[in-house]
Amino acid sequence: MLVFVLKRITWAVLTLLVASWIAFVLVHLSGSTPGGVALGQSATPEQVYAYNTEIGWFDPWIVQYARWVGEVLQGNFGVSLIDGRAIGPDIAKRLPVTAALALGGTLLSAAIGLVLGVVAAVRGGAVDRGITVLTGIMLSLPAFWIGVLLVYVFAVQLRLLPATGFVPFDVSPERWFRSLVLPVLTIAITSAGFIARQTRASMAESLAQEHIRTLRAVGTPTWRIVYVHALRGASLPILASVAIQFIVLFGGSVMIELLFALPGIGQAMQAAVGAADLPFVQALVLVATLVVVVVNLLLETLNRTLDPKLRTS
Amino acid sequence: MTVSTTAILTISRSERKRGGRLFRSPTAIVAVVWLVGLIVASLTAPLWLRYGPLEQDLSAVLQAPSAAHLLGTDELGRDLLSRIVTAAASTLALAVIPPVVAVLITVPVTLWAVRSRRGESVMNRVSEIVMSLPGTVIILAFIAAVGTNMPLVMTLLGVLLFGALYRIFFGQAKSLQKQLFVEAATVDGVRPLVASFRHVLPNMSTTVIVQFVLFFGVAIMMQAGLAFIGLGPQPPEPTWGGMIQTASRYIFQQPWMMVPTGAVLALTIIAANALADVLAGGAATPPPLVALRRKRAKSASTDAAYVVISTPAPTSASVPLEATALFPVEPITDYSDAVELAVGSPIASDAGTPSGVVASEGELIVEDLVLGVDGGPALVTGVSLRVRPGRVMGLVGESGCGKSVTSYALLGLLSPGLSVRSGRIQWGSVDLAQADERTLAKVRGHEIAFISQEPSRALDPMFTVGSQLSAAVRRLRGVGASEAKRVSGQLLADVGIVDPPRVLKSYPHQISGGMAQRVAIALALAGSPRLLVADEPTTALDVTIQAEILALLRGLVAERDMSIILVTHDLGVVADLCDDVSVMYAGQIVETGSVRDVLVRPEHPYTMALLAADPHAILDFEGTTRLASIPGQVPLPASWSTGCRFAPRCRFAQDECLTTIPLLSRAVGDGGVRCARRGAVRGRQEEWRQPVTIGGGEL
Repeated sequence: MLVFVLKRITWAVLTLLVASWIAFVLVHLSGSTPGGVALGQSATPEQVYAYNTEIGWFDPWIVQYARWVGEVLQGNFGVSLIDGRAIGPDIAKRLPVTAALALGGTLLSAAIGLVLGVVAAVRGGAVDRGITVLTGIMLSLPAFWIGVLLVYVFAVQLRLLPATGFVPFDVSPERWFRSLVLPVLTIAITSAGFIARQTRASMAESLAQEHIRTLRAVGTPTWRIVYVHALRGASLPILASVAIQFIVLFGGSVMIELLFALPGIGQAMQAAVGAADLPFVQALVLVATLVVVVVNLLLETLNRTLDPKLRTS
Repeated sequence: MTVSTTAILTISRSERKRGGRLFRSPTAIVAVVWLVGLIVASLTAPLWLRYGPLEQDLSAVLQAPSAAHLLGTDELGRDLLSRIVTAAASTLALAVIPPVVAVLITVPVTLWAVRSRRGESVMNRVSEIVMSLPGTVIILAFIAAVGTNMPLVMTLLGVLLFGALYRIFFGQAKSLQKQLFVEAATVDGVRPLVASFRHVLPNMSTTVIVQFVLFFGVAIMMQAGLAFIGLGPQPPEPTWGGMIQTASRYIFQQPWMMVPTGAVLALTIIAANALADVLAGGAATPPPLVALRRKRAKSASTDAAYVVISTPAPTSASVPLEATALFPVEPITDYSDAVELAVGSPIASDAGTPSGVVASEGELIVEDLVLGVDGGPALVTGVSLRVRPGRVMGLVGESGCGKSVTSYALLGLLSPGLSVRSGRIQWGSVDLAQADERTLAKVRGHEIAFISQEPSRALDPMFTVGSQLSAAVRRLRGVGASEAKRVSGQLLADVGIVDPPRVLKSYPHQISGGMAQRVAIALALAGSPRLLVADEPTTALDVTIQAEILALLRGLVAERDMSIILVTHDLGVVADLCDDVSVMYAGQIVETGSVRDVLVRPEHPYTMALLAADPHAILDFEGTTRLASIPGQVPLPASWSTGCRFAPRCRFAQDECLTTIPLLSRAVGDGGVRCARRGAVRGRQEEWRQPVTIGGGEL
């Protein structure tokens, strides 16, 4: 168990280093320099050069990278080139917004996906074909388009929910909830299809196992076979698909956040990319990778508790 | 015999059928027409569009569809149809880049990794890291550095897709590589990589194409997403994502604007995904092993069960049965009376009408059972069995004769797609062939239990032996948790497990096959059943373990007055354990009788052949003769003839074997034989050891 933990953590750290190195190299290959971005169009080349020299832009890459890693380890992500904000606190403020969005979206799509997938696998026949068509359409729909349609129906026509904007939880939990309903619904509609398909495939495979016949032969009730035994057998791949969904939502929430004007990580990423705010981009890549790595670690730990073969080996 | 008869149901999808599948599926045709039509329309756009994509008309902004503008106009009065169609060509062309890049990287890497151990470990790690990179964020960082150069962005997307694609390809290539023909090619001196390209790659082509189409859809989605957040091709160049973004800004003024663009985008991605689904052979998954919902047989005459129940059982009905015994001794001369029946004229009935036979307590009477694939061939035709309390009935035959399916049917455990077509499975006063789920639930485990052929797969790997056993005990005996735990331990001790507490705490993968079979037997005993249906209970076990399990079963019969139906292809097991035996061939019973009669004085050529082919050669006292082999193989269910189904393989077959042959009573002892020439072939089993001239050896 200890070996396993050490091995996984080594891999996690390695992945973080690779991702941050990629971000670092991208930043340095880009045409813009920190000085050019920070000082703007009006600055003379001499001013830009002086700025860049001061921050060590011309030092060897490896030195700069080591310096950046050293700063990050102390919790210092530097400041934005655009407005001089400290990057770390800004990300910390945005994280809860994206986390609520991704978590809510994942949970709702998991609930819908599980129901659809289990029903398709258990009922089979026309029900199965119908659900397969439905999930095929769901996973093909662009989230930002569905979002616009939902805004039109629920905000413009029915006036039930706010079209865009975000209210922090500590300001008003009720309005916080209302501001998240449409984004989360948008995510669920477009993401549930993926989880449903995985659930259906895993459940069908699980139901085709020989031990289902044994359970049947000792008179186990159908609900127990489906929801206790088959679902448990199918749980690992289903959980993996839910984890993937969370990761995708966390990194890919840009479109949803922009559409609904939510002040999350994605919105910051779009702004930073558009303005070539290089330290901000670097920090965001690191944070996004950290989320992936942590979710993967959680998933593996969960797998080990769920699967007796992994647990006892 | 691990080959399941239900394999008949699984349609083998060869790589060659891909083309046919594509053109037979209306979905695929619509999808292809949509995608190709979009490209053609886009490329020929200047020829037929009335407006250019950038042509502004400020007198006609934000219009709904009209004759002039079929899909309406945008905020600058530009024609939406023109912009959508114009954007299609570049979108679809760019969308080809990621799959091409991903496949070009992944295929050679996979073929290398499959061949070399070092390559495998390196590439597994590399792909793991690539998969852990947050794709969208990396792409955005790339755009921050390089700008919105779409071909380059799409290339990066292809590189990032490598991680996922490698996992899929590697899994398949690894299993293909293990297949014998690839190994054979390398032994033949073909260079490994060449062998991989020649033999592995073509067999992976479907997977490659499916993933290609899926990634094509992903790439369209990514382009639209980037354009939506303003990081795609820059305005005024039309892009689908950009147009949806504009539409979202004018949602209060002209909500129509978002409809056409979004619909075209969604339909294009739906088309790509649907195409991938069809190419992959539908979302094909294995069918469930056991029907969870029971379809009532269409021929079910509800009054059959009614009549039987209303008959005052078992006193009156058992009398004639006792009188005629299991198998009538007197030879039946009138064939019509005995057609397809093992039990003889007193039980015989016209097809469809209930005979009114009631099995006595603990007795199983199977009558004229016909099982078949729904919409397909019959698998078992007219099987009749009678198992009395405390007796062990062996059901013998080669693989594919319908033994296992018959045993599943006894408990309503047929796989979906298989069903009872006619006949009865009489257990006491209940006809299990017609019984509903509630009735079956009362019988399963309580009265009839089942042991399957692969002990290691018969237990749920996710639960401990103790929890599975306790759950069954609680339900079947209606006791509480602590009592169930005690009973479980006792049951394990009963089946000869020395350390029940340890085994109760173990998971199925932690115990050996023999141990697992003991646990499976304990599970079957949880409800103190009267009848045990054992489907090849020893086939998957070592010879020494087999003997132990057989001894255990023999002990159970003796102690518990239980009856057993033992499905096997091992005549040694039959001789060891059974009282009666029924030999099955191609869905029929060809010979029945007591073990002594059937094994010592076989009357059917097939039984003779099986005996002569048995390496344990229980009758080969001289120990000198050669082992027989039966030429040919069991015919598939769809190809059964109306005459003797064994005739094509039988050394004694003659013209008279082509007519339909009923089960006739044995010359010696009780039971029946289904052979037109049974008089002529009796006592000639040794001839099977001679080289065979198939069909009409006597001619």
